[in-house]
Amino acid sequence: MKKISHVLVALLLSVALLAGCGGGSGGSAQPSAPPADSSSDSAPSAAPEDAGEQTFRVAYIARAQADSFAAWLANAVREEADKYPNISVDIMDGEASDDKVNSLIENSITNRYDLIIVQPNNGEAQRPYVEQIIAAGIFAITTNARIEGIAGGSSVDADPYMQAAVNAVAALEQVPENANVVVLNGPPGNFHADQRRLSWQTEFFEKRSDVTIVGEQIANWNKDEAMAFMEDWIQANDRIDAIISMNDNMAAGALEAVKDNPKFADILAYGVDGTAEAILLIQEGKMTSTCLQSAYDLAELLLETSNKLLTGQETEINTDIGNPLVTIDNVEQYIEMHKRAGAL
Amino acid sequence: MEQTIKLRVSQIEKSFPGVKALDKIDFTVKKGSVHVLCGENGAGKSTLMKIINGVYQPDKGQIYVDENPVKIHNPMQARNLGISMIFQEMNYVPEMTVEENIFLGRLPVNKLGKVDWKHVRKYTIELLKEENLPYPPDLPLKDLTVSDIQMLEIIKAISCKSDIIIMDEPTSAITQKEVEKLFEKIAALKARGVCIIYISHKLDEIFKIADEITVFRDGAVVSSHPVGETDIETVIADMVGRKISNDYPKEDIPIGENLLEVENLENRGVFRDVNFHLRGGEILGFAGLMGAGRTEVMRCVFGLDPINAGEIKLKGRKVSVKNVRESIANGVVMLSEDRRRYGIIPVRSVKENASLASLEKIIGKGFLNAKKEHSVVNELFKRMRVKTPTMETAIEALSGGNQQKVILSKWMMRNPVVLILDEPTRGIDIGAKYEIYKLMSEMAREGKGIIMVSSELPELIGMCDRIYVMSQGKITGEIQREDFSQERIMYYATGTKERRAVNN
Amino acid sequence: MIKKYNIYLVLIILFFLCALINPNFLSIGNLSNISRQLAVTTILAFGATILIIGGMLDLSAGSVLALAGVLAVDCYKSTNSLILSLIVGILAGMACNLINAVMVANFKTPPFIATLAMMTMARGVALLYTQGQNILQLGDFVVFGQGTVFGMPVSVIFLIVIAIFTWYILKHTRFGRSLYAVGGNEAAAVASGINVIRSKYIAYLINGAFVGLAGVLFMSRINAGQPNGAIGFEFHALTAAIIGGTSFSGGVGTASGTLAGAFIVGFLNNIMNLANVDSYLQQVIRGAIIALAVIYDIWTKGRRTKGHLGNVEDKNKKQKVAS
Repeated sequence: MKKISHVLVALLLSVALLAGCGGGSGGSAQPSAPPADSSSDSAPSAAPEDAGEQTFRVAYIARAQADSFAAWLANAVREEADKYPNISVDIMDGEASDDKVNSLIENSITNRYDLIIVQPNNGEAQRPYVEQIIAAGIFAITTNARIEGIAGGSSVDADPYMQAAVNAVAALEQVPENANVVVLNGPPGNFHADQRRLSWQTEFFEKRSDVTIVGEQIANWNKDEAMAFMEDWIQANDRIDAIISMNDNMAAGALEAVKDNPKFADILAYGVDGTAEAILLIQEGKMTSTCLQSAYDLAELLLETSNKLLTGQETEINTDIGNPLVTIDNVEQYIEMHKRAGAL
Repeated sequence: MEQTIKLRVSQIEKSFPGVKALDKIDFTVKKGSVHVLCGENGAGKSTLMKIINGVYQPDKGQIYVDENPVKIHNPMQARNLGISMIFQEMNYVPEMTVEENIFLGRLPVNKLGKVDWKHVRKYTIELLKEENLPYPPDLPLKDLTVSDIQMLEIIKAISCKSDIIIMDEPTSAITQKEVEKLFEKIAALKARGVCIIYISHKLDEIFKIADEITVFRDGAVVSSHPVGETDIETVIADMVGRKISNDYPKEDIPIGENLLEVENLENRGVFRDVNFHLRGGEILGFAGLMGAGRTEVMRCVFGLDPINAGEIKLKGRKVSVKNVRESIANGVVMLSEDRRRYGIIPVRSVKENASLASLEKIIGKGFLNAKKEHSVVNELFKRMRVKTPTMETAIEALSGGNQQKVILSKWMMRNPVVLILDEPTRGIDIGAKYEIYKLMSEMAREGKGIIMVSSELPELIGMCDRIYVMSQGKITGEIQREDFSQERIMYYATGTKERRAVNN
Repeated sequence: MIKKYNIYLVLIILFFLCALINPNFLSIGNLSNISRQLAVTTILAFGATILIIGGMLDLSAGSVLALAGVLAVDCYKSTNSLILSLIVGILAGMACNLINAVMVANFKTPPFIATLAMMTMARGVALLYTQGQNILQLGDFVVFGQGTVFGMPVSVIFLIVIAIFTWYILKHTRFGRSLYAVGGNEAAAVASGINVIRSKYIAYLINGAFVGLAGVLFMSRINAGQPNGAIGFEFHALTAAIIGGTSFSGGVGTASGTLAGAFIVGFLNNIMNLANVDSYLQQVIRGAIIALAVIYDIWTKGRRTKGHLGNVEDKNKKQKVAS
């Protein structure tokens, strides 16, 4: 008796939970679509199917609104979508959780969107769900980072290897002979973190055997962790010539630790992403260079690709945005870009 | 009659840092007999029992079961050797159910490691029926009283099929009826050849069941006799190392004005229409069986439980008792029956426990006056005869009697008008008991009113000026000192039904 | 007695060991580094200590820190007032913890659940407020985390003040005594006339003020208002408190123990960075140290109890002999 009742209760609970999740995440798609959406002419409540002209419904599933790049990208996608009268985009927040992203994908399939853009939280975790999208006859685009090798799927991304490589190539010339450098890594296992580090290895360290790595740690993309590492490193090392960081946030943290220290006034610093903070540091002459991963460029390409797929011009597209190197010489145009994005 | 020896310990020694707890102990228990251990707390009997039960390892010496030398590393091993122990202060998990408790550590599992709950349920129901215990097997322990849980522990040991059962003060929290049931059970076990090591302070009950009595003092055996060759006076003398008066230190104190008047007090579903009064210098007893509602009435008077109807007057003025803080401010304090739950803060020092209810007296102007705290507490401890190594010792490290005296000190620091003592002598040794009685008399002499709730009729009769008897949530009788007798109290305590039956 | 001081012994031994391993360790620059790096988590750890002593917990510390931090940064950017932004940060921390207190004290929600809810909520509000973007160009706001007064880092001055404050309230106030009782045995505290609900409120409010202050120091130190910052900091705080001898079962813990616990972690991280120990290995060592600290704590506690029992029996014996 006891066992049966336990099983029953467990079953009931799981059904209720499933229903709750479904309802919850379905509902959360709406509120997480930010206010800008409702002011545009494509309010989701005004059912677009009934309109005379064909309107395509696109679901954009962001990795996490909490991630500042992901948030920028989501905003850029929303802005860009306004340029396409035939496309309405609903933006959803994956809350940095595989589970959440996956259930948002399932819901979007159920709601019969015409195209679903997925910014994966973890490519391998989302792979089977993206395959479901295609199996359901819906267009799928993966972006930042792409999920490789999905038959029938499209992708728009930046190439992390190239993003680091443009910095590494510049560094080959700039880093002095027999230099001491420190390296700041992203979380191990992260595709971008690993690819960028690999790029530095191949494009720089293997060609400059004179350079010594006096400190290398994982700072998890975080400014505060990078700052603490750098504070300790400058105690142990009298000379550090360059900071090689896998993203801008960590580079900025390391620079924060040496900013008033005359011994390190000429330190070189490399990052990736082109965040507003890094752009400002380059303008001030504190940071050497970064590679811009432009959310605007990504958004532009995403919408262009979406349009091509939806209007039947093509059926499968895999494309990358450019990898512009930002240095003190061209920094002004990127300052303008960030001002437009509201980050400055 | 020649009996075979079941358990024998030889030359057992055990030291703790700074003290020799056991010194060359020899001790034997015969098959099918009840061997009683006496001795004041700290005499070493609990330490020896913990060694037999595998909780401690002896420094020297040997244990034999059925004359085979054994090493017992933990209680699990002890149980496999047929040894079970029922502890005096039970640590139970409040959320655990009756059946889970009975099968604790020995849940039957199938090959896949899945618990056979069906068997557990069936077996528990049978066991409860056999023992006439009227609660369901899935009841959580927190819904049981202390005595219920103790009965359960006894049943558990029996159900383990142990042939050596150690009982550490099993009757300290159960009623007379339950005690008799326990004794019947012990007799039945004896007949089956089980031997029982029985630790108790209640000398009258010891002589009812013991086959042999061994007295411990200061970590050594001072005497060991078959029950026919000794008497109460000898045992007491052996225990304390001196002759002790078995009388109660009751003093003749003039009774003053009414201090506390309780009128038509009600806590719905628990008790109702409770009326009583307490006067200055009076020691007022509350008798009754377990569950009669005595503790519950006191909890209401003290502000621990809500009052649904009725009023409380203090020195003639109606007072509000919404919570304990108000009650304490009014000068009414209460020593709880459940010291571990409502009395002590186990990990904190004796000093902090003592000053807990009077913080405003020792922390003035933003800073703790450590010197004042030390001297106030020290003085109280002297008066209360608290024995503690230092003021910083955690209270959990003291014996039950000393813990009780620390809690008493806590309340004395407030200089209360009315002192409610709920089972103040439960689980403490004879010496400490006597001291608590003496303190009660001292306080009465100061004109305070004292209420003593107790299940031990001799102490009620010995110490009180007047006794109220409760049964089933009502006061069923009031007895003046000159009319005290155990029979009269039991007459009221067994309730109206039986009285009516007598009348019919 | 030994038990009471052994955590400090560990700290001193570690200190000399570090000095032996790397000569840079003892430099003024490095020691001041360590203190600055530790300021934020140690202030959080003091809050955690107060809560754990009272049988509570705060999992929302990291999130509330971020929320309070970005609010303070934004306040500074619009008013240019350091004092005002500091107050805003502290008040924001207290406001969040007022909600924690209501849930825990009034609604009897288990602190784990209540503060878990606040953790998610506060992070959400921080992100909503900043739209997920970092706030940059903080100007003079950085003095809290980077400035010095008479050569003493400002954040370390805050740390010292908070340490003294924590020591004072735990040791010298009625609230402190009540808190130990509430955490040690809540039912007995109620039955002793302690206002348990008020104690819980005060504990959460103090914790809130500490978290808010930590938020200001954190954002100021990294020179950015990061709504995503300080993820998981509550666990750094718990680590320091636990290593410092605060017991999760409540009723036990001291300000000085927590300070020592924080510095043990700080010395360890610092020496591993100075010696450039591999990142993965660092994590293994840190984890092992926490496990060891807890095992050691339990082991010495067991010994302490037995020792005291022994003493009691000893004492009783003497008195009995005397009487």
